[in-house]
Amino acid sequence: MGPVAALAAWSMVMWVWMYATRIPAMQKQKIDAKGLVGTTGRTLDDALPAEVQWKAHNYNHLMEQPTVFYAVALALAIGGQGDGLNTQLAWAYVALRVVHSLVQATINRVMLRFAIFAVASLALVALCINAFMAFVIV
Amino acid sequence: MIDYSLLAPGAVLALWTLVMLLWLAGTRFPAMAKSGMDVKTAQPGGRGQDLEQVLPASVNWKSHNYTHLLEQPTLFYAVIIFLTLAGGVTQTTLGLAWAYTGLRVVHSVYQATINQVMVRFSIFVLSTICLLALNVMAVIATLG
Repeated sequence: MGPVAALAAWSMVMWVWMYATRIPAMQKQKIDAKGLVGTTGRTLDDALPAEVQWKAHNYNHLMEQPTVFYAVALALAIGGQGDGLNTQLAWAYVALRVVHSLVQATINRVMLRFAIFAVASLALVALCINAFMAFVIV
Repeated sequence: MIDYSLLAPGAVLALWTLVMLLWLAGTRFPAMAKSGMDVKTAQPGGRGQDLEQVLPASVNWKSHNYTHLLEQPTLFYAVIIFLTLAGGVTQTTLGLAWAYTGLRVVHSVYQATINQVMVRFSIFVLSTICLLALNVMAVIATLG
């Protein structure tokens, strides 16, 4: 449960970072949100500097694969499998996702970001296999 | 003693999602190499969706499905965990949950290969009906 809470909290940090950079950038571009109808955050990809949108890209990313992590971690925890190796794998996943966020929000070199994502995904694969063994094979 | 059997279809679908991630990677990288792209010299900040007009559609279909698996199934995970914690594990919920997982695997294979929209839509609707039924049962079980 610890890593679940930590990654959820980190997502909210990225949410704050996203708005703390997006709102000043919108003001600078003289975009008045009061006059906007039906646009989405993605619309800003063409309007704001890329580094500003990188924070949003990462926030969206945190709403993707980590949802599988939450499901698997909760299943393992309530299924009595939330100990030892599974806890270490979960913390490794969370730590790698935090590093991934920092890279994507700042330097955002694609190969580096990809490498971190790939290693994080391997930790999640291991957790998924453990959940599969615990609940499907039994 | 909690019955954990309803977590099994969730564990399978989570693992399947990562199989789709491997399928995505296994087709995207060769396609990128073929199109002469070099990630090392790419502009910082590039994302998977930038490949949309660049790579063949059938390569991107794997990615569309991987993304899709991180959308609605997240509700499914929440619902089966609710049902497990609230004592809602029955033959009916088990059947519906396995049907959901089975249909989503079929949906993935279909979207990644043939991808006729009406067929894909029909599979998606069937799986959504399973999820809707599970969700209603989860509301009943948790309101108790």
